[in-house]
Amino acid sequence: MKPASFAYHRPRSLGEALALLAEHGAEAKPLAGGQSLGPMMNMRLAQPARLIDLNAIKGLDFLNETENAVEIGALTRHQTIASSSLVRAACPLLAEAAQSIGHYAIRARGTLGGSLAHADPAAQLPLVAATLGAEIAVAGPRGERRIAAQDFFVSLMTTVLEPDELIVSVGFPKAAPREAHAFVQFSRRRGDFAMAAVAVSVLLDVQKRIQRLRLGIGGVEDKPVVPTRLIEQSEGKVPEPAALAAAAREAVSPAENPRVPAVYRRELVEVLTRRALQKCLNSN
Amino acid sequence: MPKPRFRHIGAALPRKEDLRLLTGHGRYVDDIEIPGALHACFVRSPHPHARIAGIDTKAALSMPGVFAVFTGKDLAQWTTPLRMAPPIEGLHPVEMTTLPVDKVRFHGDPVACVIATSRYLAEDAAEQVEADYEALPAVADFDQALAPGAPLVDESVPSNLVSRQAFTTGEVAARKREAHRVVECTFSQQRMTHLPVETRGCAAVWDEGRRHLTLHIGSQVPHPLRTQVAARMRLSESQVTISSLDVGGGFGQKIALYREELTVAAASRQLKRPVRWREDRMENLLAASHAREDRCRTRAAVTKEGRLLGLELQIEEDFGAYCFYPANYLARVVAMILTGPYKVRDYAFEVKVALTNKCGNGPMRAPMAITSWVMEGTMDAIARELALDPLEVRRLNMVEPGELPYAMPTGEVIADITPRETLEAAVKAIDYAGFRARQAAARREGRYLGLGLCSVVESTTYGSRFYKAAGIPGSGHEAAWLRIEPSGAVNASVGLGPTGQGYETAFAQVVAEGLGVEPASVRVHMGNTDVAPYGMGSRGARGGTAGSATLFLCARDANEKVLAIAAKMLGFDSPEGLRMVDGRVEREVLGERIETGIALAQIARTAYLDPTALPAGMAPGLDFSKTYDPPPMTYSNAAHACEVELDPETGALRILRYFVAEDCGTVLNPFVVEGQQHGAIAMGLSGALLEHMRYDEHAQNITGSLADYLVATATDLPRFEILAMHTPSRGNPVGTKGMAEGGVMGSIGAIANAVNDALAPFGVIADRQPLSPDYLRSLLRSK
Amino acid sequence: MLEFELNVNGERHSVRAEPRKLLSDVLREDCRLTGTHVGCEHGVCGACTVLIDGQPARACLLYAVQMQDHEITTIEAIAAGGRPGALQQALHEAHGLQCGFCTAGIVMTFEAYLKENPHPSEEEVRDVLSGNLCRCTGYQNIVAAILKAAHAKA
Repeated sequence: MKPASFAYHRPRSLGEALALLAEHGAEAKPLAGGQSLGPMMNMRLAQPARLIDLNAIKGLDFLNETENAVEIGALTRHQTIASSSLVRAACPLLAEAAQSIGHYAIRARGTLGGSLAHADPAAQLPLVAATLGAEIAVAGPRGERRIAAQDFFVSLMTTVLEPDELIVSVGFPKAAPREAHAFVQFSRRRGDFAMAAVAVSVLLDVQKRIQRLRLGIGGVEDKPVVPTRLIEQSEGKVPEPAALAAAAREAVSPAENPRVPAVYRRELVEVLTRRALQKCLNSN
Repeated sequence: MPKPRFRHIGAALPRKEDLRLLTGHGRYVDDIEIPGALHACFVRSPHPHARIAGIDTKAALSMPGVFAVFTGKDLAQWTTPLRMAPPIEGLHPVEMTTLPVDKVRFHGDPVACVIATSRYLAEDAAEQVEADYEALPAVADFDQALAPGAPLVDESVPSNLVSRQAFTTGEVAARKREAHRVVECTFSQQRMTHLPVETRGCAAVWDEGRRHLTLHIGSQVPHPLRTQVAARMRLSESQVTISSLDVGGGFGQKIALYREELTVAAASRQLKRPVRWREDRMENLLAASHAREDRCRTRAAVTKEGRLLGLELQIEEDFGAYCFYPANYLARVVAMILTGPYKVRDYAFEVKVALTNKCGNGPMRAPMAITSWVMEGTMDAIARELALDPLEVRRLNMVEPGELPYAMPTGEVIADITPRETLEAAVKAIDYAGFRARQAAARREGRYLGLGLCSVVESTTYGSRFYKAAGIPGSGHEAAWLRIEPSGAVNASVGLGPTGQGYETAFAQVVAEGLGVEPASVRVHMGNTDVAPYGMGSRGARGGTAGSATLFLCARDANEKVLAIAAKMLGFDSPEGLRMVDGRVEREVLGERIETGIALAQIARTAYLDPTALPAGMAPGLDFSKTYDPPPMTYSNAAHACEVELDPETGALRILRYFVAEDCGTVLNPFVVEGQQHGAIAMGLSGALLEHMRYDEHAQNITGSLADYLVATATDLPRFEILAMHTPSRGNPVGTKGMAEGGVMGSIGAIANAVNDALAPFGVIADRQPLSPDYLRSLLRSK
Repeated sequence: MLEFELNVNGERHSVRAEPRKLLSDVLREDCRLTGTHVGCEHGVCGACTVLIDGQPARACLLYAVQMQDHEITTIEAIAAGGRPGALQQALHEAHGLQCGFCTAGIVMTFEAYLKENPHPSEEEVRDVLSGNLCRCTGYQNIVAAILKAAHAKA
């Protein structure tokens, strides 16, 4: 379990990194925290000819508050996000999800940008980004662009990111005052990838009707599922966790898997959705 | 409480081993620096079963840093095959070459070994070795193996049924006819692997001038390993040294001489260079050694009160492709000791073991792990079917103290055990009496609690007479030496292979006790075959029994000579009334103990440097050795009680409380014993809940990483509450009975019984492990 | 092959290695610090955990070449002057290790964690410890030792 040979680059600036990616094309692979790429390379499942190590780039590790969002640099470590008082206050769903990633040492090293670019369908941050409608800022030789998280993830470990582009930052919309959230996942052990995960954020109006529901389901399909129709239909109604959960179960199409049968994943989606919604309502 | 018999045995001494291990100065195999060592990497079969048409090593040999690529044909010239052919009825003899020559038999079978200047370069070259395989149909499980027309895993065996034994005593058929009911149950335990955190590995250093091999390797059994290495390399036992310093866990995986290790040793001799190999985790999962994967069926003939009249057992084990042990050995022990603390005269068993295209099986901490689950699950089934209290069914059938020693129907004799005492202590601790009311109240709130009991009678120590009776070649003896050096320093050694059990500390206490010195002044040396005497190593729970008894007897011999010299030095005719306490000789006068002023250092100096001052006829020096063969079998016992909560919506389990009441005889060091109890229970629970070495239906291994092979972490396990109920054994000079595997047996059974108690309102029974949430959901969904 | 310097336990080490050489291997083979153990090489077992600028990291998921300009701390630095640190002492007194192979990773993980959270609950300790596999102890005495060390520092 030793990685195959590669050439190593350590750019000091984003521009330098983008130039290296442009020069080397598909044979280069950006390296952020390396908590997913590292194991794949040690097993030789990934054998990139070049690694562009992003860790020495200054200015990609930040947490900024804007009027409507928290803008987080791509090199920000999970642990920083989880323990940030800004994120906890302005985007508590994100903080809670980040705290549940892997283990302590993994969180200390893994990065936001790396997690999104890797696009594991069971990972926490892609799910939260898709659920909240985060915006992903991407830089490349053709300049910067901002991509809605729902459009960013294509399928299993595949995104719309071009090989010569890098994630620069992610803007997560701030929660409204009184907005309740829950992040509920089910895995065999603490820190394992979720067999199903549900992220919920609910804002009720004064009549206790749903003013805004954000709901995302991870670990079930090849990318995070945001059941848009279900969400739209629920708005303006009194929240009924059991009914919404039953609808969520119907909104997902898990693939059969020898380890986790599809029927079981559907059951988990229903139970977790109900529990997550109930948790939100209880906290109101 | 009776007055403690011992001064040092039983003291809670923190371990001597700890400081070096805590500060990063342990010496595990891969920590040993060997200048000029080359690195080995194995090329492994991607096929579960295939003919080897050819292996092209040219491209690999041209890679940078590559010294050699060896295949099965090379190794066949330099080493002899392993023949496993003990004279056991119903067991077919089998043989294996060091590396496969004609065909591969499982996914991960090593077909070639690349030797290069670094592991990195060796792995690069291994990717370039072109093996040409002709795939053969494979058998992926026991049923496929025995299906008509199944492909043969080993063509030298007439069928894949490599072993079958049956046994009957009494008249089970008659008992079944007379019975109020015949209760039938099934139990299915999954394939697992030992998963020591340190994988296998070795470093072979061939000294061409002296024609001597030093093999650094983490081994539980240094001397038996030396015998194997020497024989298979056609060397004498004086040409091989096994050196095993610190070992990062064994659990049964570090007993056999594996093919990779023999290959590395042979490569070192061939290349006249040191060669080292550190197994990586993927290899360890795929190809080290697996364990378990057995199915049991019991049929219990019972009265309407739940009294056991007769019992039948069938065991089927999927043994994998290669036999590093006699194929019947693990399952046979289950059948031999199944009835444990319960009384029954009429008993029959059938044990079937099949070869399949999977990694070969071996003993894993509690080779007989399934035993207590099967017996105690049967007890619960009897209670369930007859609507009786499961505790009452146990009490009704359990052997009474006055009935000991008791011969099990297989002839195994249990004596000096206390199953009733431990059972009652465990049920009291967990408040069995009050539990049903709590359980009912919880159910009204939609919470599902379950309580499980499991009594264990653990076969800890095999004496030579047991092996003889079972037809297995081998010895159960242990060997020790003790030397008091001229300075008075005490060195001792025993033929065990420590892998974390704290032997250096516990055995220092034993030697200190027997000799009359302080444990701090005793150093116990183990693991090097040039130093240690020829003992049978660490397996089962024989360290605390055979190991401590041998050292204690050796130390008593030493004490006798030391006191004889002291008597002479003091001018007495006999050592009567003298004793040594903490290295100083005392004399008893009219019930009072008086310092004599003579210390061990003076006696030692006299023994070595002034032999003419010794008693007439006494040889100089203080050098002692001892061998000891324990009784045919030693048993200890325990009772486990476990409370769980089941989340029926997700299938998730939470262990709420866990108690174990255990009697392992004299405790050498309570820290060590409790640590072994924790570790064994943890290993059992980890297996029962999480671990599963999976193959697909084509015999492809689909468990290649620790993201797939799940072992328990700190958040999966409860706090273990220990009730120490130790009573000395009369069959052992120190009084130990052995322990460290029973915790696995008991926890597997206790958790399964607790889960079935929680499942009872749903009318379903979990009869296979792991008790994963999706499995439990599948049971609940079926209702 | 690249030549670079590493700062390990406050000492400079000149290293000549391929970029792909894992930090765990460079520490063990080039720096001759074998206290960092390798248990899985895919980031799961936690045995190789070291500190990078005070933060815990799996040495098997880092390339040594990445670590220029960073401070690496390994188990060898924890027992200053041969005297065990508070957590090491607590592990000794509570019998928190058996084979000892996973121990360095656990010590390093909690060297970092107890600085961040000096008074953890048992639940928090178990949660953080879940990133380190131990096959011998069942974790109970490790948890007890960590809590004991935390109290001792208080």
